[in-house]
Amino acid sequence: MTKPCFLGVDIGSLTVKAVLLDAGQRLLTRGVVPAGYGGQEAAEALVARLLRECGLTPDEIAYTVVTGYGRVRFATADEEVSEISCHARGAFHLCPAVRTVIDIGGQDSKAMRLDAQGRVVDFAMNDKCAAGTGRFLEVMAAALDVPIEQFGALALQSEHPVAISSTCTVFAESEAISHIARGVAKQDVAAGLHQAIASRVLGLAARVGLEAEVMLTGGVALNVGVVAALSRQSNQRITVPADPQTVGALGAALYAWHKGRR
Amino acid sequence: MAEKRYKKLKTAAELQRLMQWHYTRIRLPRLGRPLAWVTSGAPVEILRAMGVIAVYPENYGALCGARREAVSLCEAAEAQGYSPDLCSYARTSLGSVFQSERAPMGGLPQPDLLIACNNICGTVIKWYEAVAAHYEVPLFILDTPFIHGAFEPHALAYVVAQLEAMIRFVERTTGRRLSMKRLERTVRLANETVQLWSEIRALCKARPSPLNAPDLFVNMAPIVVLRGTEGAVRFYRHLKAEVEMRVKNGIGAIPKEKYRLLWDNIAIWHHLYRFYNYFVDYDACFVVDTYTGGWSQEIPEGQSELMEGIATAYATVFLNQSLEYRSHLMERLIREYDVDGFVMHCNRSCKPYSLGQYAIRRRITEGTGVPGLIIESDMCDARAFAAEAVKTRIQAFMETLAERK
Ligand SMILES: Nc1ncnc2c1ncn2[C@@H]1O[C@H](COP(=O)(O)OP(=O)(O)OP(=O)(O)O)[C@@H](O)[C@H]1O
Ligand code: SF4
Ligand SMILES: [Mg+2]
Repeated sequence: MTKPCFLGVDIGSLTVKAVLLDAGQRLLTRGVVPAGYGGQEAAEALVARLLRECGLTPDEIAYTVVTGYGRVRFATADEEVSEISCHARGAFHLCPAVRTVIDIGGQDSKAMRLDAQGRVVDFAMNDKCAAGTGRFLEVMAAALDVPIEQFGALALQSEHPVAISSTCTVFAESEAISHIARGVAKQDVAAGLHQAIASRVLGLAARVGLEAEVMLTGGVALNVGVVAALSRQSNQRITVPADPQTVGALGAALYAWHKGRR
Repeated sequence: MAEKRYKKLKTAAELQRLMQWHYTRIRLPRLGRPLAWVTSGAPVEILRAMGVIAVYPENYGALCGARREAVSLCEAAEAQGYSPDLCSYARTSLGSVFQSERAPMGGLPQPDLLIACNNICGTVIKWYEAVAAHYEVPLFILDTPFIHGAFEPHALAYVVAQLEAMIRFVERTTGRRLSMKRLERTVRLANETVQLWSEIRALCKARPSPLNAPDLFVNMAPIVVLRGTEGAVRFYRHLKAEVEMRVKNGIGAIPKEKYRLLWDNIAIWHHLYRFYNYFVDYDACFVVDTYTGGWSQEIPEGQSELMEGIATAYATVFLNQSLEYRSHLMERLIREYDVDGFVMHCNRSCKPYSLGQYAIRRRITEGTGVPGLIIESDMCDARAFAAEAVKTRIQAFMETLAERK
């Protein structure tokens, strides 16, 4: 006897995420791995591992939805759905009061406004530039020689954040380095960088209107410095779900559940 | 082939012959007729009436863009110190001037005079000044004040005076006289062309629409370049007849029309069919656009002074008017063409056209309830086009439209 499950895969520019749901929409398991080159191999390995952990076989997957930049390269999917729809779907599922979703990933930041039914009524994405994305934070953390996982916490220690005026990643990096060279404390530079990214992202979110409740998804939601800066600058409470990085994959799995359930 | 997703127009061959003839003719011995480079919004009727041959660097730029030869010309201009932020029509044109050996058809034939009208933008002034300096030929700048609200009588009087100055300039530089009789005849022909073009665009109110945006973009060349000539009138009569037949027989431009969209801004020439096919994949057809409607102003004949008519038609083009005016125009088109969504090309090249798009988008969605998408690219400079990013946005937008249906 097989029990059908539903798979959502999110192949992002930096990481691959997968979520497995059962027939009752309950979470079976989820995982995050680095995307490597192209993401396809990493995605296949991750799915195989998750299935193994749950004692499932590939035939028991009733439906697969794939999203993210690598979506076209995942051959075994039944359907591909955009990241906008998937992040919105996942966020609304976790918290039906959500009206604005902000996803900050490795190379994209996106803002979506939802209606009371969870439908996307408007969205905006960053222009093709790494400013205001996770990649920006990674470059800056490396420049300051701080692990990315501790970068946000370091920023929170600052009492006198410096102003970073460049939004361009390359220029902001040289600006940060020149601050360090002038003897500014690391945490103050880190805080300035977090404020810069927050104002950039809020500028994007303003295009769709920042309606409460606001949820932050994507890997950058794990960064406490960004969450704090966003909340301070917008005067809004920012909800961060447990495991924000997999919200897009969760949305994809929910689409799969919806499509594949019979 | 992507192009297969389009029903090819029978008049396509005629269009090609017409444009080829234009580009051939301007290279033939001209028997003393002067040749002018003019901007797309210049009052060409006056030049034609004076026997001046007009060529359009903007159309040449679009042609290079569509042939994917614009980037190397842009680079040639950049190598001379022109900024990559400069309009890519200007860079393509300047590149073809500096390095004609790289340019399709060897570039445009050398001008005897230049006419730039700033009703479309301020870029054309500096661009044409650079061309004037290069060839050492006289340049006339026709100044049309920006219209913030109404087109005031003093502005009209000023533009009429500008037109008179332009006529004196052409008379002086070419030794030719303007005959009012010939001008009236040219204006009549131009109006006929414009009328036919407007009627063709209006036929796209039908369901399914007989034409998609790329059809409009390809077929707009004569309205820009040959407006006021017999050849253009003849061509648009044939095109209109064919489009009418499509409507009569219920033939649509794309295989299945589920969504009707409006396009704002200049075409993405370097990805013309490929780009609009991303939408065809979702059964979406662009039934109307703002760009090809830029040449739909008839010159009022008979009742008032002819010069006042010309001044009004050219000063009131939409790029010379307020954001208010432009959002009202789009709202009207959305209603008239029964549109489900609109796509705005945030065109890195064309600042006057792209400035304020976020405000316009918000206003239109508030006014009509119809959602809009903004796509970043450039009309000619393919380096500013990120296919994956563009596709992602289109997919998300089409999913939101699908949820509304
Ligand atoms: N533990 C962590 N602490 C702080 N930041 C983190 C952590 N883990 C990941 N990040 C941030 O998350 C980013 C990656 O986010 P995510 O996995 O959502 O990207 P992605 O989905 O691959 O990218 P995209 O959606 O843009 O294609 C990294 O660039 C990093 O800045
Ligand atoms: S800036 Fe815009 S209006 Fe001016 S020439 Fe370039 S494309 Fe045309
Ligand atoms: Mg992502």
